[in-house]
Amino acid sequence: MSTEALPALRRRASAVMAALFRPLLSPAVAVVIAIAVGAILVAVVGQNPIYVYAILVEGGLVGWPNLSVALQLTTPLIFTGLAVALSFRAGLWNIGAEGQMLMGALAAGILGYAVSLPAPLHIPLCVTAAFLGGALWAAVPALLRVYLSVNELVVCLMMNPIALLLTGYVSARALKAPGPTNKLPDIHDTAILPNFSLFSQLNAGIFIALVACGVVTFMNSATVRGFEWKILGLNPRFAYYGGIDVGRNALAVFLVSGGIAGLAGAEQVLGVYKAYYDNFSPGYGFDGIAVAMLAKNSPIGVIFAAFLFGAMNAGSVVLQMMTGVSKYLVQVLQFIIVLVLAAQFSFSWLARRTPPDR
Amino acid sequence: MDSDLAYSAIRISTPLIYAALGGLLTYQAGILNIALDGFMIVAAFAAIAVAYATESLTLGVIGGCISAIVLAALLAVFNLRLRANIFIAGIAVTFLAYGLTALLLKGVLGQEGVFSSDRIPTFPPLRIPVIADLPIVGPPLSGHTLLVYLAYLLVPVVAFFLYRTRWGLRVRVVGEAEDAASAAGINIFAIKFETMLLSGLFCGLAGAYLSLGYVSLFAKQMTNERGLIALAAIFFAKGNPYWTAAVALLFGTATALSVRLPEVTGLAPQLLELIPYVVTLLTLVAVGVRKTRTRSRHGAWRFEL
Amino acid sequence: MGADGDVIAMSHIAKRFDELVAIHDASLTVRAGEIHALVGENGAGKTTLMNILYGLLPRDRGDIHLRGEPVQFVGPAQAIAAGIGMVHQHFKLAPSFTVAENIILGAEPLKSLDRIDRTKAEQETAELGRRFGLGLDPRSIVGALPVGLRQRVEILKALYRDAEIMILDEPTAVLTPQETRELFTTMRRLAEHGRSIIFITHKLREVIAVSDRISVMRHGRIISTEPNQGVTAHHLASLMVGRSVLLRVHKTKADPSEDRLLSVERLTAIGDRDETAVDGVSFFVRAGEIVGLAGVQGNGQDELVQCIAGMRRPVSGRVGICGAVTEHADPRARRAAGLAYIPADRERVGLSLTSQAWENLTVGHLPEFSRGVALMANAARRRAGELIRRFDVRGARESTLAGSLSGGNQQKVQLARELTRQARVVIAEQPSRGVDIGAIEAIHRVLVEMRESGRAVFVISADLDELFSLTDRILVMYRGRIVADLVADKTDVEAVGRLMGGLHEDVEASPEFESGERKGHVH
Repeated sequence: MSTEALPALRRRASAVMAALFRPLLSPAVAVVIAIAVGAILVAVVGQNPIYVYAILVEGGLVGWPNLSVALQLTTPLIFTGLAVALSFRAGLWNIGAEGQMLMGALAAGILGYAVSLPAPLHIPLCVTAAFLGGALWAAVPALLRVYLSVNELVVCLMMNPIALLLTGYVSARALKAPGPTNKLPDIHDTAILPNFSLFSQLNAGIFIALVACGVVTFMNSATVRGFEWKILGLNPRFAYYGGIDVGRNALAVFLVSGGIAGLAGAEQVLGVYKAYYDNFSPGYGFDGIAVAMLAKNSPIGVIFAAFLFGAMNAGSVVLQMMTGVSKYLVQVLQFIIVLVLAAQFSFSWLARRTPPDR
Repeated sequence: MDSDLAYSAIRISTPLIYAALGGLLTYQAGILNIALDGFMIVAAFAAIAVAYATESLTLGVIGGCISAIVLAALLAVFNLRLRANIFIAGIAVTFLAYGLTALLLKGVLGQEGVFSSDRIPTFPPLRIPVIADLPIVGPPLSGHTLLVYLAYLLVPVVAFFLYRTRWGLRVRVVGEAEDAASAAGINIFAIKFETMLLSGLFCGLAGAYLSLGYVSLFAKQMTNERGLIALAAIFFAKGNPYWTAAVALLFGTATALSVRLPEVTGLAPQLLELIPYVVTLLTLVAVGVRKTRTRSRHGAWRFEL
Repeated sequence: MGADGDVIAMSHIAKRFDELVAIHDASLTVRAGEIHALVGENGAGKTTLMNILYGLLPRDRGDIHLRGEPVQFVGPAQAIAAGIGMVHQHFKLAPSFTVAENIILGAEPLKSLDRIDRTKAEQETAELGRRFGLGLDPRSIVGALPVGLRQRVEILKALYRDAEIMILDEPTAVLTPQETRELFTTMRRLAEHGRSIIFITHKLREVIAVSDRISVMRHGRIISTEPNQGVTAHHLASLMVGRSVLLRVHKTKADPSEDRLLSVERLTAIGDRDETAVDGVSFFVRAGEIVGLAGVQGNGQDELVQCIAGMRRPVSGRVGICGAVTEHADPRARRAAGLAYIPADRERVGLSLTSQAWENLTVGHLPEFSRGVALMANAARRRAGELIRRFDVRGARESTLAGSLSGGNQQKVQLARELTRQARVVIAEQPSRGVDIGAIEAIHRVLVEMRESGRAVFVISADLDELFSLTDRILVMYRGRIVADLVADKTDVEAVGRLMGGLHEDVEASPEFESGERKGHVH
């Protein structure tokens, strides 16, 4: 009895340890590999990797001025990362956050200047419009996916340039503000999200982002929908068999996901730029994919992953100014992380279902 | 319509046809390769960088192809050996390629967004002896560069290998019934790896054509989703090389129209640039409708990936 | 040749998958020109052992000698080259390709430039078929062939590669009695040509009918090998399970009410290969009875059940559950009407293997655990714990991943989930597939309890013994139609077997049909 119990106990103890550390292990490994490969690339470009990384860290994290820029750049990534994570968890590939964010931003930008309201109404109106704008844009891949089984990846990726061209048409042609810049007119003061940093455009939008993460956490763990979405992601056939309305849930996931991506646009327009600028995004929607992967689709994880990438992006601007290294170094690092995580992702999945072939 | 339009349609379709040929080989082997754009962009960059350094077009094209093949091998290793999801890995490789080329553009060529140089030689237009003198079809068909003709000549070559050879049979069986292939002792990994490398080769030609033939410059993300458009063509043609090329040519014609229409109509360029994307999207809708029709006949559950 | 005419000698093979030991210690010899049956229950390790021989799986311990030479195959290509062929239970064919293409795959005759020599391929295919009496049109598309002919393609594939040793894994599972007889003729002919055949099965009558020697496998061990002389099915059965089998559930006589809880009216449905899989089927199941559906796999049972469960859209006809009659409904509506469905495909349909036990037990019960939008997760977990105890799901806790449970325990999770719903119609599809004997008894007992409590129970099984021990009425399905509706006590396995083989139209006309080879091809 006791001779059998001891190894069992030991096994359980090591299982507990593994359960505690495994979620953090693979992201850590991925980050280390990315840093190593990045160092080689920096050396290829003829720079000192240690110096480059030191600047990257300093530029992203050291001192409130740098930190506030990092937080400013974190905010949109929380939204887009959350949007992508929500859809990935449900087994749907919404990688069109970029386009959804643009449409959300456009909606907020138009209502921000075209409507006059007191601030307590104006800001919610613009934020809601941004959510709907993003959701609307996500409805296209969603409907095609659910009713016609068209691969949503390709449609999502196609919707991104379409959004860019459409918003470009509106902001550079149809509703262009007078002046040399391709932008809409400035939004009214009543629509501006208050800024609280002298050194950056860090604004109240970050609280909306954190609240959104909280709401999604609650949805995932404590609501019927969240439960259904998880099952949908793990085995859609089983979900359907078990009486979960797969089509309607898939639509809902896409719309909510697109809406959250749209909120990123609201934050950018209402908090950072105070107007819709053509082509304002450096690719927050795509970085959101990397954020979601690093966070393993956890909404709380998204906050930390977004901060890591926000700080990297902030550091990369300093990097580009101080050295000859392009800020795109950071994009390379981010997607190396995604690539490595993708590999481990499936490893653990495989290990769980080694077939005892009979 | 007029021969100028036809001429530019043939020219504009060239990179689409290369990319589509690359994509359809993996498609036939059962891999949906969404990293075609990534392969193309590294090739476009490497081609122009090598051509700039050596002043040789041949070396430029070879350099472009090699770089795309290397990237394809990376994706293949992650997907086939490390079991990474092809979609995630494909997206990662694509954005990695965008970032890497932008990084190297600044780091190696010292440019911020666009690079061009008059040190880079250009492809001479080829006059095709008999065809050039034909009425109507002569002018659009003659006077293209070598890489354009190569793209169209590769279509029957790919079809030949796919449908006539042992390799092609194995590729198609791997794509349709992997277990049948492995039970017959076929090395599935090798077959998939080979199609992926060939995907790299064809996208390499596409990328090299983009930066050395189509225009003579490199710009960030200059592939403009051509890989996705090529994928739509492949879906629509169910991977048949001839039909895929025909659909790609159709997309190219739509693009050629969008390039020329501003002069004619005075419409905003942004709206006209939408044409190829919207046409592609409509094609995907058509694919979906077709698929749904065949499926609803036997009414099996419809939420399949 | 080996010392004593053995072409294959496997000695002390062992194989484990993580925690699960699939093969403890198995030794097996096969002689030239013999038909060697390998029998054992589901999960005894037969297929694993053969996959090791065929190079599909590496072994942990043990040696394999082929004609006296030690071998270690990495991948089936090497096994094929050494003259081993395997016909898998699930055919490994490419459906949209021709017979010839499937046969030559991997050993293609070539012209210059890597081109396939189609003429030669088709000639050789036809010639091979003639030589072994396995006629097939080399140009027909495999996906359009009936199951029996597809199996011929598999056998020809192995013969084309000059296989001297052929492994047939449960080859009769999908065949009608006629096709089975033809297969046995083919097997004998192959043995006469000097080929050795390893015949994996769990059908003892077939073993005794065709094999020269019989090896019995149990719990990962070969426990006996003996010549097929004077061996009885009863003896083999007790060796297989280690005790005398008594697959009889203790149940009283059924007392069905007139309440037709499940009714199917003129249901027609198209299968995945565009064939009419279900052809105007009508039947009913009353409250308080267990009705079985018998039939050779692939005669429309899967599609019929999918239509009832709402997972396939019928072309025409209606399904009624507890009086709610509809043409088509999704699984959600069917469940709401009062259906509990235990699917055969646990891995892809009935469970989410990467989800925890409580999640698997909560799907389908969501209304009980929701308050508005909120999910009462703690209550759901608690109830899952109770169900795990009540249904004796061994080795499971609420948070255990379903995929880490054994087949029998996965089945109990499905039963626990489905049978605790307020549902008066219970459909159990292959309830004992991949389940150990002990669990089968428990499962059968639960299904009988369901009947006693006034539910309508519908059992689909490929195993006639199971149907006879469990059901009150047996429907027989053949080519998409229900060809018989029999009272279980008043018929026998032989009669149902004939009906499954489509012989019903001949039964009356010629009582001596067993002797006629060509009869029975009714259509």
